[in-house]
This record gives sequence, C-alpha cells and structure tokens, in this order.
Amino acid sequence: MSEKKKYQFHELYLKKEWSYQTGAVLLALFSLALVIVTGKSWGVTGPLGMWGGWILSKLGIAVDTWAGFKATPVASYDIWKDLPALTNIGIVVGALLAVLLAAQFKIKKLKSIKNLWAAILGGLLMGIGARISLGCNIGAFFTALPAFSLHGWIFWISIFSGAAVGSKLLVKYFM
Amino acid sequence: MAEKTLDCLGEACPVPLVKTQKAMESMAVGDVLIVNIDHSCAMKNIPDWARSVGHAVEIEEVAEGEWNIIIQKMK
Amino acid sequence: MSDTTITIKRSTPKETPEQRARKRLIQFIASGVVLVLYILLAAFVQTKNPQGAFILLIGLGFGYILQRSRFCFTASMRDPVLTGSTSLTKAVIIALAISSVGYMALQMKATGLSLEKLGTDALKSVTQLPGHVRDAGVHTVLGGFLFGIGAVIAGGCASGTFMRMGEGFVQQWIVFIFFIIGSVIGMAVLPAIKSVPFLYQATPVYLPKLLGGWIPAIIFQFGMLFILYIIADIYGKKKSGEL
Repeated sequence: MSEKKKYQFHELYLKKEWSYQTGAVLLALFSLALVIVTGKSWGVTGPLGMWGGWILSKLGIAVDTWAGFKATPVASYDIWKDLPALTNIGIVVGALLAVLLAAQFKIKKLKSIKNLWAAILGGLLMGIGARISLGCNIGAFFTALPAFSLHGWIFWISIFSGAAVGSKLLVKYFM
Repeated sequence: MAEKTLDCLGEACPVPLVKTQKAMESMAVGDVLIVNIDHSCAMKNIPDWARSVGHAVEIEEVAEGEWNIIIQKMK
Repeated sequence: MSDTTITIKRSTPKETPEQRARKRLIQFIASGVVLVLYILLAAFVQTKNPQGAFILLIGLGFGYILQRSRFCFTASMRDPVLTGSTSLTKAVIIALAISSVGYMALQMKATGLSLEKLGTDALKSVTQLPGHVRDAGVHTVLGGFLFGIGAVIAGGCASGTFMRMGEGFVQQWIVFIFFIIGSVIGMAVLPAIKSVPFLYQATPVYLPKLLGGWIPAIIFQFGMLFILYIIADIYGKKKSGEL
C-alpha cells in the first residue's frame, strides 16, 4: 500500500492518460494561441518538401529550377523562421518528454517486414497527397475547416474515404 | 474455459485492437484472452472497445510501459 | 458487469518494484536532460526569429497533449469504419467547434461584420485571412484520398507520425523518411496537376462569401458540426450494441 501511495503523484500527474475531450480542448486552445500571437496557423507537412529539397540541393541537384520550387525556393528557406518546422520539432520532443515522464519510453522495433512496407508506402502516399491537396490533416483540415474554408470540409470527406480504403488494405496486406 | 495469449508488443494502433477483435470472435463465452501490449494508445482503445461491447476487462501493468489486458468474453 | 468475474490467475510481473523505481528515476533524469537541451535550442532559435521560442513552446505543448491524451486524427477517421468506435471522432468535432469560434472572431475583425472589408486594399484575397483558406477542388479530393490511405497504412497522420517518432517507434522514423521523399515528389508533380483545369481549381472558397454573409456561414458551420456529432454518437452506440 505504501508503494502505491508513494507513486500516486507519478500515476496521477505524469502517467494517467487524459480523456480525448481534454486533448481536444487543449489542442484547439493551443492552436488558437499560435495564430493569435504569430498571425500564422499551425501546419505540419509544408516543411517536409523543403527539407527534401534542401537535401537534394546539397547533393548537387538544382531543385530550385523545378517548377514546383519556384514559389518557395530552397535557397531562401530558413528553418528557424518556418513555423511548422519548429512546431514539428516541438511535437517530437513533447511526445518524448511525455513518455519519459511517464517512464514508458522504449524503442519499439519493427515487428516484421510488413511494417517496413507499410511505412514506405504510407509515407510516400501521405507526402504526395499532402502536397497535392495543399496540406495535411492539420493545415488542410484542423486549421482550414474552422477557418470557414470549403477545402477543409472537402478534405475531411476525402480523407475519410481514403481511410476506409486504407483500413481494408491494412487488414488484408499489412497485418 | 480456454485461455489464449496475443502478443502485440511493438505494434501500434490499430493493429492490436483489430487483432483482439478477431481473436475474440473465435472464442467461446467464458474464454479469456490476454493481450500483451506496450503501446499506451492500445492501452486505451482495447479496454474501451471491450467494455463497450460488454466483456469483462482487467488491465495489469507487468512492467513500466508494458501491460497485459485480460478480457473475458461475456456474450 | 464487474471486473471480479475474471477468475484466471494473474500473470507474474516482468519487473520487480525496485527495477520499476529505477526505470522511473532514469527516465525522469532523461526527461530533465531533454528539457534543458530544448530550452537551449529555444534560446538559440530566439536569436534568429523573435517568435521562435514561443512557437517552440506551443509545439512542445502539441506533442505533450497529443501523447498524453492519445489523440490521433487518423484514428478519428479510421475507427468508425475499422472498429466502430467514434469517441475520437466526437473529440475532433469538439476541437473543430472550439477552433471555429476562435477563427470566427479573428476573421470577423479582418472582414468586418458584413464582409465589407473583403476585396479592399487591406484584404485583397481571402487567402490572407487568419487560418488556411486555400484552393478547393478536385485536387483536394485526390490529395485527401491518397493522404487518408497513407495515414492508415503508416499508422499515423502527419502530427501522429511526429508524435510516435518521439514515442520511440522505429516504424515512424521510416515513415518520416518516405514522407519527405513523397513530399518532394508531390511538389514536383503539383505544377503538372495545376496545368490540368479538370484536376486543379485555383479557387479558394470562403464560406461566408459563398453563402452570402457571416450569419448563414455560422449556421452552416456549427449546424453541420452539431449534426455530425449527433450522427457519430448514434453510430458509435449502435456499433457497440448500446442502441
């Protein structure tokens, strides 16, 4: 019993999961705080294309001559001024802190070759999809639908149907 | 009363839950399924699902960040 | 139904209380180290960007909230179909409703109550408004569909991938690499897609403008969210056999 009491603080404040509703309210408030203070809204996938372009340019490929990089050339990209890039770093570290404080951190290795294929295919599809629809589940949904933009609603319906197809594929081929 | 163990260590959502649902289908009333997980997300959605369909659920923390979810089929 | 009906014997713990206490201590110290490094990073970024430290703080909050509440956008769209659960879907709708109130206030300030400032020099295009008002069209459907498939297969959407990288999933680090490759492919093919009028419509559709004012837009926005919440609630209860 004393063992339990000793770790009550740990259990309650660092470990016990919050409800989805708590998460929802806090995420909305943090996202609003971001736009109120900086004037810019939360996004996630924008920087990924720029990071990829930056790597390619370091490898000697002149991506800035591509039509896709015309509007946002890698040469003038500054990661420290890129809001989504900074929040992405924050998400990784924030999640890491949360698991460490809960004493649940553990490197979770790939379980099978199927997981590798799932990661490759899933990553590619998400990257391509996000660029074509001008955003991801955050930029084209979470900070688009509440901003009274129709594309946020369209994106929601589309991602929903994509998820239904993805679920079938996952159960059939990747489990 | 049969007992079955499902190893879902290292697997992320939704795989543990789908596997659990599949395993439960093939079991008889009264049988017990033990699911080993180490993903905190499955720790929430598997018990949620099992309780919502009316099974008896118990969660055991076998190590920090590792759990056994014990589900008894009730109907 | 009480939990006491379970009659099987408990499995033996893998870790002794001493081992667990040690693990807690080690990970607690590690979290302190991570935090200090992060503060140093924030101090550095602050010298490059006057808003840098604040943005990093909010980002850290996002990661902590997402992990702590096991929030997952992918699951909110996948679970209704895959497992019949709609609890996350409902939570997402709540978040959307709260965000809508905030954006409504910010945008009303910019557009004026009867949208009179829209189209003036101060606000030439709706894309300048707070939030992402962007081109809507076939490309949105196409991209969203691909993104949805990818998110479910990869086991996490954009924010979820980053969160699980922090949680220590090797799979998500691989997803991350291919997410970058996919993004570059996407950026490369986007101009080609933009050149096909059927695939890409360069028309940002702003609901208050489309529906003819703030009042109908507010009715549409909150009405739809409310209806969807009710549908999700009934669907979830039906699937679990409560109804």
